[in-house]
Amino acid sequence: MMTYKDLSTTPAGSEGPILRCEGLTKAFGGVNAVNGATFDVPRNKITALIGPNGAGKTTVVNILSGAMKSDSGTVHLGSTDVTNMDRAKIARLGLMRTFQLSRELGGLSVLENLLVAPKVQAGESIFNIFFRPRLVKREERQNIERATEILRTYGLYDLRDNWARELSGGQKKLLEISRGVMASPSVFLLDEPMAGVNPALIERIGGYILDMKAQGVTVLMIEHNLNVVERICDNVIVLAEGKTLATGKLSELRQNKEVVTAYLGEVINASTGH
Amino acid sequence: MAQFWYYVFTLVFFLFDYFILAMGLNIQYGETGVMNFAYIGFVAIGSYVTGAVSLPNSVGTGQQYIFGWNIPFPFNLIMGGIAAMLLAVVVAFIALRRLRTDYLAMVLFALSFVLYDIINNYPRLFNGADGLYNVAEPMTGVFHMSTNSFVIFFSLVTAAISLILWAVMSRITRSPLGRTFRAIRDDADVASALGKGVFRYQLTSMLIGSFFAGIGGGLIIQFGGSFNPSAWLPGETFVVFAVIIVGGVGNNVGLLVGALLVETLLIHLPAFLPDIPGRPGLIEYFSAMVIGIVLMAMLWFRPQGMLPERVRKFPAPAGELLNRDGHSVVAPTPVEAVATTNSAAQVADAHEGNDA
Ligand SMILES: Nc1ncnc2c1ncn2[C@@H]1O[C@H](COP(=O)(O)OP(=O)(O)OP(=O)(O)O)[C@@H](O)[C@H]1O
Ligand SMILES: [Mg+2]
Repeated sequence: MMTYKDLSTTPAGSEGPILRCEGLTKAFGGVNAVNGATFDVPRNKITALIGPNGAGKTTVVNILSGAMKSDSGTVHLGSTDVTNMDRAKIARLGLMRTFQLSRELGGLSVLENLLVAPKVQAGESIFNIFFRPRLVKREERQNIERATEILRTYGLYDLRDNWARELSGGQKKLLEISRGVMASPSVFLLDEPMAGVNPALIERIGGYILDMKAQGVTVLMIEHNLNVVERICDNVIVLAEGKTLATGKLSELRQNKEVVTAYLGEVINASTGH
Repeated sequence: MAQFWYYVFTLVFFLFDYFILAMGLNIQYGETGVMNFAYIGFVAIGSYVTGAVSLPNSVGTGQQYIFGWNIPFPFNLIMGGIAAMLLAVVVAFIALRRLRTDYLAMVLFALSFVLYDIINNYPRLFNGADGLYNVAEPMTGVFHMSTNSFVIFFSLVTAAISLILWAVMSRITRSPLGRTFRAIRDDADVASALGKGVFRYQLTSMLIGSFFAGIGGGLIIQFGGSFNPSAWLPGETFVVFAVIIVGGVGNNVGLLVGALLVETLLIHLPAFLPDIPGRPGLIEYFSAMVIGIVLMAMLWFRPQGMLPERVRKFPAPAGELLNRDGHSVVAPTPVEAVATTNSAAQVADAHEGNDA
């Protein structure tokens, strides 16, 4: 079992929901992609963000991670107001995200993809490189050790010296998740981590996400596979047309008429063939 | 005979000088992904400032220029490098901060024209269209050298400087800083999602590269004693790009190979060939064409360059058991294999938990 260091460096205090957003809106031209989304993400839980295609899920993740500016609304990470804050700063506060289409750093090796992740490294300063080489070396050795451990857990160890661009689709998904883990996040936003991977790998990724929770990470994952949601997620947020339609446990939501019409209906119909 | 060695060592000088220039552009473009289409402008600033600070006060020299501080080699050279870095700061805040790669490239290219026009048309800076001349050959006074022995001496000095700079550059590119540069090159969005302040690192990379540009430019004016606008037409930037593309983007040794092939063999060697009777300048045009063709051929057949970027390997942590192929003996099954029983069991547990 891998260990996640530095998880206590949460800026978020230790009380209440770790992530809160209120009245988020974002329009692209005439399209109101996000239209008043309001929800809390409870601390140290796995929360699913579900909803039809085009509901605005990815856009919400983009706003939460600072990749896009919202038109209005607020985002709090713990007690810190991170609304429209610079995304690198948000990341350094402990919020990591993955992308719906995985984005590897193709010109780096698999191992380097992880090594780049620790948020603040002594070796990223020119001064340290030339005048404190021992410090740089020591930190690098620790990072390599930890990255190696994570790659082992994620089954990527034998590929550590390969170019990341040469990985398969599923391997890239794993690489992106393990890279996020390497950054020791307190909140990890996963945009469809299981999309396009085989059933065995879905099981494994589910296991990794449960591992994260066991290590104190809060996970918010966009997921279309309700089977997975049912098995690993503690809570569900339903987004439709950019609004929060409902939140709760999946079993409760199945009784919610609105939710069934907006989203679950399609899925249930599709899976039972009606 | 003396003439022959004069030519040879002139080639040696330009080989190592362009090695320096290529390293500077490579850290910006090859490592960090900043398409600096104004690169030759940084070289020029380095050259002019190196010359202008080492010249005596301009009064009575028949030239106009700022500075004129009599600063000796190599301090003038270092000031040239620093001047190029100052230009980088200005450029970074104007352009780098707000623009993405392709737009940035165009704006930088336009900027190099602006810089060119300013220096060309304000003689009070660096003697305008005539450029600076009569810059003393460094250390000739100390060693009492003839011009020929100066050429040999200074090309070797340049080679030595380039090797020192190469050591410095390798240390940077192998460090975590270099890795962060390459992460930004590959995908700036991902890098910032990992908490890297993209602008800060791009600026750092611009500064390092500009220092190299300035040094490379400064060496040119020290070698030849003069520098004027005909030496740095904005298009010259692409010669340096050709060097790094032919040699291998992201590979410091490849850059030396690129400098040898493009700068030495295609540009400077033909310049020493005698003119074809009745067709003055033909060889020069021809060599420009050959560069274009070589560049296209490289991009078509070998886009990674003669010496491609190599994957950076790290020694396995201590206590690691490796088999003969370098694979870990205890490594778990590769990716697409069956689920680890541990994780699968946990998923199953969670499933039951949810049902309860
Ligand atoms: N960068 C963009 N420019 C213009 N429109 C966009 C952009 N990003 C998203 N949209 C639009 O916003 C709406 C919401 O998109 P979003 O990607 O957030 O949906 P999603 O819920 O993630 O869908 P999916 O489940 O298919 O991934 C869509 O109508 C989409 O076309
Ligand atoms: Mg999406």
